[in-house]
Amino acid sequence: MADFAGTVDAIRFALKRDRLILPICVAGLIGWMAIYVVSYNDLYGTQAELNALYKSVAGNPALVAMSGPTGGLRSLGGALSWDSTPTLSIIGGVFAMFSVIRHTRAEEEDGRTELLLTSGSGRLAPLAAAVTITSFALALASIGYVVALSIGGFEFGPSILLSLSLLGFGLVITGTTAIVAQVTGKARTARGLVGIVIGVAWLLRAIGDTGDGTLSWFSPLGWAQQTRPFWENRWWALLPPLAATGITFGLAFWQLARRDIGSGLIQPRPGPPAASPSLLHPLGFSLRLQRGTIIGWSSMLFLYGFAIGVMGNNIEDILKSSTAFTEAFASASGDLVDSYFASILTVIAIMAAGFTISSALRPHSEESRNRVAMLLAAPLGKVRWVAGHVLIAYVASAMVMALTGLGLGLGLGIATGDFGETGTLLGSGFAQVPAMWLTGSIAVLLFGISSRLSSLAWAILAAFVVIWTVASFGELPQWIVDLSPFSHVPAVPAVSLEVKPLLVMTLLAAAFTAAGLALWCRRDLL
Amino acid sequence: MSAAIEVEGLVKNFGSTRALDGLGLRVEAGQVHGFLGPNGSGKSTTIRILLGLIRASGGSARLFGEDPWKNAVSLHRRLAYVPGDVNLWPNLTGGETIDMLGSLRGGLDPKRRKDLVERFELDLTKKASTYSKGNRQKVALVAALATDAELFIFDEPTSGLDPLKEEVFHECVREITGEGHTVLLSSHILGQVQDLATMFTIIRAGKTVETGTLEELRQIAASAGRDPESLSLEDLFLGIYSS
Ligand SMILES: Nc1ncnc2c1ncn2[C@@H]1O[C@H](COP(=O)(O)OP(=O)(O)OP(=O)(O)O)[C@@H](O)[C@H]1O
Ligand SMILES: [Mg+2]
Repeated sequence: MADFAGTVDAIRFALKRDRLILPICVAGLIGWMAIYVVSYNDLYGTQAELNALYKSVAGNPALVAMSGPTGGLRSLGGALSWDSTPTLSIIGGVFAMFSVIRHTRAEEEDGRTELLLTSGSGRLAPLAAAVTITSFALALASIGYVVALSIGGFEFGPSILLSLSLLGFGLVITGTTAIVAQVTGKARTARGLVGIVIGVAWLLRAIGDTGDGTLSWFSPLGWAQQTRPFWENRWWALLPPLAATGITFGLAFWQLARRDIGSGLIQPRPGPPAASPSLLHPLGFSLRLQRGTIIGWSSMLFLYGFAIGVMGNNIEDILKSSTAFTEAFASASGDLVDSYFASILTVIAIMAAGFTISSALRPHSEESRNRVAMLLAAPLGKVRWVAGHVLIAYVASAMVMALTGLGLGLGLGIATGDFGETGTLLGSGFAQVPAMWLTGSIAVLLFGISSRLSSLAWAILAAFVVIWTVASFGELPQWIVDLSPFSHVPAVPAVSLEVKPLLVMTLLAAAFTAAGLALWCRRDLL
Repeated sequence: MSAAIEVEGLVKNFGSTRALDGLGLRVEAGQVHGFLGPNGSGKSTTIRILLGLIRASGGSARLFGEDPWKNAVSLHRRLAYVPGDVNLWPNLTGGETIDMLGSLRGGLDPKRRKDLVERFELDLTKKASTYSKGNRQKVALVAALATDAELFIFDEPTSGLDPLKEEVFHECVREITGEGHTVLLSSHILGQVQDLATMFTIIRAGKTVETGTLEELRQIAASAGRDPESLSLEDLFLGIYSS
């Protein structure tokens, strides 16, 4: 028990550190569920609409692969569970991943854990605090789900079952992250590994659900769907996530009680004693630092685009089943599938703007890790160094979106046998890029003002997400909608390309970037 | 001969704290200059201003007669810098780091690089994340010492080095001064500074307290009623601060 000494203090400290971000994340999760509740009540108000949805979806392999077994779609609650479970599970899981790593590996990497442990804290206390507050936040979100569902008129019992299923996945990822964070010595790598775990969980159940279902039982994401709320209400299917949570938590603490503090279980291997020519150029060096992240995002979004493209062929039937959907998309243009692709591309672009920000803010992370003085004491030039990273961020953003469009086109081509749309879809991916540049340039501007302000860029991106989500389901004053650059991207391929807004956004991005660089030039290094 | 470093009445405020309060420092070309003062007295702050990393709030700082903030890039071609806490890129090996840093100043002399690596006994194939504190310091030292800079700025360069490697550092400094290079050396290891430097500047709370050769400092101490002959730099330093 001595190993847990100081856990309460550690929890208090972590809560104080997270006093802003934690409530925002919990509220975001609950809000997302509330949007599902409102929109399902809206979209499938009549049983006829639900029947039409069921008819178009049931057994469609592409949709089963995306979202799971479709048996429950005849009831409103079943349809909502089917649609929301993968999305909310994954978002909750990603939250759990960030939260656990932030309080364990990231702290250890920066050497703060060592200080804590040598000043009276037990060696298990930091991990205990991290999993406690993460589980607590997930549980709070689940209570919020139940409330939102109940207010929305959904049955109480199955609502609890759905919320527990989502909680189960979050807890399994919490435990998994607690293990993975100890395997590797770097927070960045740990996040990537957990991302892969979530991806594999999705893939296993996609294959399982389209086959005989066996593989789905090997996936935590599959478990979340096996409870089948509002349909078969299988409470016993909560047992696998419960067991997995216990096992992963136990393993994590067992491992921590045995491992050296400060390093991962995998030791980095030796490397070359001299630099390759590409490292001998400032831009090559910056690219080397960003390489892993760029490859990760590119492959992830290409595959995502591909998956969406494959099922795009069938999406028309689903869209047609809801009059509200048809109205929403038809108002934009004639072709339903094209409108659907346009809105998917916007969603991906907003996600990928997260990459643009993190990549453009690489100088900020270098600065806060005190790695800049030795670089800038060389004849490198302050502007040249930051501009290099920003250039990489902007070029990579364009590449990532082009790959997404290409994935969409190839997926659709494979499903239909007609690759004629590939070029258009690739171009449609590109159309999102100026909005991402603009978002990234705001980050550069903030970084130029001061290092501390840089993180505000994330709050701004969060605001864009909220604006997009609320605007696509409800009413929002036009001036608020206009604040987000993603509202100004023409909905290609559904409408013809309008160049003017793209040009304006590109010019604005260039102006903000230049201003950010000029301000950076003028300010002290941290 | 013109001075390599000329600092007069230097002031630096961080918000409401005044880190430098009218500091003066003059380093002649070809000199090894010891820059001393207790923790928080403003040594690193002065050096960061000289490197153009932060901007002075008042007074003047000149490097080779030029403004280090305005002409940072051209001045940096002529200097090399080693900080006291070296943070490296965890995924790069020591060898890659040295070459990358060297390439920023137009490449290193391969013979000199090899010689320094051998003398400091540095394993170049290790990832930076696995280096000990002293070994990280050696990476920065090799990268700086293998360049052909006119001015070397060392801010506690040997923190974490074992005594043998510290001796290697001494030899290296003697070699570069033998070739006529200038050195600004800030360190808390007073034996090291006394051994290497010919001129000393001692500061406290952002102000220069004493400056001169060891002899001159001894004279000042003598006027305060102490026996000058036996005094080491350490005695002088402690004398100044306890007074
Ligand atoms: N970025 C900063 N923001 C606020 N205060 C600072 C900053 N950098 C330095 N200071 C303050 O300026 C003063 C001088 O610090 P400096 O690092 O120059 O001291 P130093 O002489 O190098 O000390 P040491 O021997 O411990 O290295 C200290 O009081 C320090 O707290
Ligand atoms: Mg210092």
